[in-house]
Amino acid sequence: MTAGALGERIAGATLIALLVIFLIAPLLVVVLMSFTNQLYLAFPPTELVLRWYRALWDDPRWLEAGWNSVVIGTLTSALSMLLGTLSALAVTRSGRAWIQPIGSLIVAPMMLPHIIIAIGLYPTMLDLGLNSTYAAVVIGHAVVATPLVFTTVTAALRGYDPALELAAMTLGANGWRSFRYVTLPMIGSGLAVGGIFAFAVSFDELMLALFLASPRTETLPRLLWEHLSQTITPVIAAVATMVLIFTFLLLGSVVLLRRPDAEEPVP
Amino acid sequence: MTSATARAGRPWVMGRSYALLLLFPSAYLAVFFLWPLARVVLRSLMDPKPGFGAYTKVLFTGPYLYILFYTLEVAALVTAVCLLIGYPVAAITARMRGWRLRLMTALIVGSLWMSAVIRSYAWMILFQRFGVVNQMLVALGFTDQPVRILQTMTAVTIGMVHILLPFMLLPLIATMRRIDPNLLRAGRILGANPVRLFLGVYLPLSLPGVQAGIMLVFITALGFFITPSLLGGGRTMMAAMLIEQEVDIFLDWPTACAVATVLLVFTIALYLVYTRLTRANVARSLR
Repeated sequence: MTAGALGERIAGATLIALLVIFLIAPLLVVVLMSFTNQLYLAFPPTELVLRWYRALWDDPRWLEAGWNSVVIGTLTSALSMLLGTLSALAVTRSGRAWIQPIGSLIVAPMMLPHIIIAIGLYPTMLDLGLNSTYAAVVIGHAVVATPLVFTTVTAALRGYDPALELAAMTLGANGWRSFRYVTLPMIGSGLAVGGIFAFAVSFDELMLALFLASPRTETLPRLLWEHLSQTITPVIAAVATMVLIFTFLLLGSVVLLRRPDAEEPVP
Repeated sequence: MTSATARAGRPWVMGRSYALLLLFPSAYLAVFFLWPLARVVLRSLMDPKPGFGAYTKVLFTGPYLYILFYTLEVAALVTAVCLLIGYPVAAITARMRGWRLRLMTALIVGSLWMSAVIRSYAWMILFQRFGVVNQMLVALGFTDQPVRILQTMTAVTIGMVHILLPFMLLPLIATMRRIDPNLLRAGRILGANPVRLFLGVYLPLSLPGVQAGIMLVFITALGFFITPSLLGGGRTMMAAMLIEQEVDIFLDWPTACAVATVLLVFTIALYLVYTRLTRANVARSLR
């Protein structure tokens, strides 16, 4: 190896190391902060205690918000899986030219700033009498979460030969049976991954929750946000750490779901 | 392709029944997505009386215009920084194999999913007056005493780059991995020096990824709310913060809707450019 190539490799490794530090270090700081003993943000902490986790456990607002977020996330995920699967089937299988643009309409909410959707949905929910209900938040979250299910299921549907469904139908299966016994097993892991993504989007969504939730349907990001704009205590770091761990576990489940798919031999 | 075979197989039932599945999703989108957007646009034009009153205010008075330009400025700056960091990182990552590549991909994709609120909070801790960054700056002799980083454009830019970098890296890496190393080898054998090899071969071949990355980061940056609110405070206001403030504090819906419409038109226009670019690139690579 020449000196030049060696230098290049060292420079490259340094750059990658710096990137990794840049991406990860701030999160580690939050985790460390949650174990500090001071009342105010001081870093690095002088001693490590569980004080803020106890404070978090003792405050019912955090637990309630956490529970609300899980409920809203689960319902959002279910609704998005239904919407996403129906539209993915129509777009990939119908073969009608006019349906293709609808695919880009379905993914459009992903690209738009959430604030625009939020200020449009707020009066719509008022009209429907849904304001400050779980339904309002779930409906809003499903608008921005469906694109993820749509894309993962579309990819899954394009990944195998539609002749399989045709074969089932030729053998006498009706539309539902061919979906249940052929399509669903084929897209199952894609659908599950999309559902987890939808849950994650809802679990982290702030803007729509700010406009559509109420103190009764307070979500975790909303409560975090309220605390951040008032006083900053290390309780927030404790909550943030729990949320980070939870997100990490969600991502881990995605990796586990995806692996068998990727290693499957192509028929 | 697949849909064409489906059509050839059973054109008389398949197409229609699959199209019927769209009934529920399209009704849902119409009521909870398109109608709300239309409402925003309509309200900006009709409230309190029909006309362009809200737009004259938003587009021709100093403070509003300033915020719109500031939004573009921050988005452009963030995009430039992402490209500057992202390009070399992506070029190195694209050459990785095996566990290294998997680890980098996991890191980049994983960080996409970490809460934006929490990540901005992390930078608030780091950027405090006596925070880690200030301690380091003093220790390294860059300043004598702690400087203010929070509530500056620097803080907002760093926080936003942290969140948006994956949007630059992923299309760049995808494009760079498709570059045939034999082309670079051929160029080298034919006597091109590294600079010419880069400018003549590598850079042009990686341009589709650069375009996609720039568009993705810029479009997403335009609508940012959380990071500029937490790290910029009231001093550095971006369009999304302005909309929220008009609604929440001043209860001025027409103005909020006018700003939202401007943001909407911008985003849609850029998105159309983006899809056209990516489609053209895909078509070119298939040729």
